[in-house]
Amino acid sequence: MIEFIDIHKSFGPKRVLKGVSLTVDQGQVLYVIGSSGAGKSVLVKHLVGLLRPDSGRIILDGRDVTWLSEAEFYAVRKKCAMVFQNSTLFDSMSILDNVALPYRKHFRLSRDEASRRALDKLALVQMEDAARRFPGDLGDGLRKRVAIARALTLEPEFVIFDEPTTGLDPVAAANVDALIRSLRNDTGVTAIVVSHDLRSIFSVADRIAMIYDGNIRLDGTPQEFRASDDPVVSQFINGRADGPMKI
Amino acid sequence: MNGALEATLRAVGGPLVAVGRHVFDIYSVFAQVVTALLKGAVRWREVFRQAYLIGNRSLFFITVTLGFLGLISVYQVASQIQRILPDFTMMGPAFIQLMWREFAPTITGLMVATRVGSGIAAEIGSMVVTEQVDALRMCNADPVRYLIVPRTIASAVMLVMLTIYAVLVATLAGMALADVVFDVSPSTFVSLQLVSPRDVALGLVKAFSYGFWIPIVAGQAGLAASGGSAGVGWATTRAVVSSSFAVILLDFIISGIGYAVFNL
Ligand SMILES: Nc1ncnc2c1ncn2[C@@H]1O[C@H](COP(=O)(O)OP(=O)(O)OP(=O)(O)O)[C@@H](O)[C@H]1O
Ligand SMILES: [Mg+2]
Repeated sequence: MIEFIDIHKSFGPKRVLKGVSLTVDQGQVLYVIGSSGAGKSVLVKHLVGLLRPDSGRIILDGRDVTWLSEAEFYAVRKKCAMVFQNSTLFDSMSILDNVALPYRKHFRLSRDEASRRALDKLALVQMEDAARRFPGDLGDGLRKRVAIARALTLEPEFVIFDEPTTGLDPVAAANVDALIRSLRNDTGVTAIVVSHDLRSIFSVADRIAMIYDGNIRLDGTPQEFRASDDPVVSQFINGRADGPMKI
Repeated sequence: MNGALEATLRAVGGPLVAVGRHVFDIYSVFAQVVTALLKGAVRWREVFRQAYLIGNRSLFFITVTLGFLGLISVYQVASQIQRILPDFTMMGPAFIQLMWREFAPTITGLMVATRVGSGIAAEIGSMVVTEQVDALRMCNADPVRYLIVPRTIASAVMLVMLTIYAVLVATLAGMALADVVFDVSPSTFVSLQLVSPRDVALGLVKAFSYGFWIPIVAGQAGLAASGGSAGVGWATTRAVVSSSFAVILLDFIISGIGYAVFNL
């Protein structure tokens, strides 16, 4: 179970999160939505210690992880993986080395053993042919697949996907959705997915939370979102240009 | 009255606090680098790659800069000598001593600070804004250990080598000018009679320190980048300014210690 309790976070004068509280139950897929710059990426990075809150607490599996040291966070990052918004691969490493890195660092495997396992993981996402190529040579959709493969190397219990379908073609996006669904159904992964993609949101989400103006505007099931008469929520999920939302 | 005082304090104190924080951040990267070195956690493959890149990026610059420096300084000095005591015998030895002690390491250091420091900040800065540094941390790879430590070793070693090369280039250029313009024979010019092992040691210690600190200062600037490509631009500028300043400051400190403690 993941709990964010009253998280506040500012960057200089800019107040991004103003008291966000959110709970994700075991085995659930929670979608976090909100306009660009709302603080979705900022929020999820707190869970793995990439950002620290100004105040508030983060509880992962009953353990308060808010103020763990960087070294203590490594254990958290082993069971809680993250796929970054920019499908961040290391430009200077081959695809294979990218995927092998978590094996070498988290499990201290040798270079050969790590590469062998990485190749297996790449095969799972049909990317083994690209193993020797470099991230710069691949298109966005393929990079995303590799980034997902890298995040899943450690067989995490929790996965954060930051906009996994943004910039993908509809088929590739549907593939990612199917992957998230099967992770939940087959391996019981608990996931937080940041997304703008209304189609994936309503086809995969168990629950949705909308961030607006530094707070959670609405937290509920997809049905509750569809039925909501909050003008901000309905403007967002219907994708209308005119309405009360501040940009 | 109070308002004016407060405004003045704020105007003076704000930048001071900012500089203080900056120095503290650099110090904390330095401490992490030293810890990693003591633990022996070094990626040697990356050290060699970086050393090659640093040498490659700087060689041409240093050849041109130190060549011109040799020409200009010999010309200026020889013109003065010609007016006062037309005896050129000590010019070459003094020139070579000065090159070892001061100009070769420091000019080379400044060149590397701009050329290599900016590269390091741009590279690490863009890794920060594209979340690659976050991804490294997710993979249990410490960014300082992974990115900065190999560069400090590579740049310290390369700066020592480049400094030796720089002395050579400047001496050859100076020698040629002295020969052609002032009719000083190369055998008179190139004499090591004033150069003691201490002078060489001082120069190489300077070079090593500059080389060690430049990636720390520039890398810290890169790690502090935020906010897209504009942030990377700022980080790069800051890296060049701070690491050039660091070279001058280290020059002063090492020269001072050399003079006070070792009577150099
Ligand atoms: N390291 C940082 N330093 C300064 N400001 C930051 C930093 N990270 C994020 N911000 C700011 O915080 C705000 C929220 O950013 P965030 O990346 O969380 O938005 P988002 O909801 O993920 O939007 P998007 O859909 O565009 O990814 C933005 O205004 C951003 O400029
Ligand atoms: Mg984001």
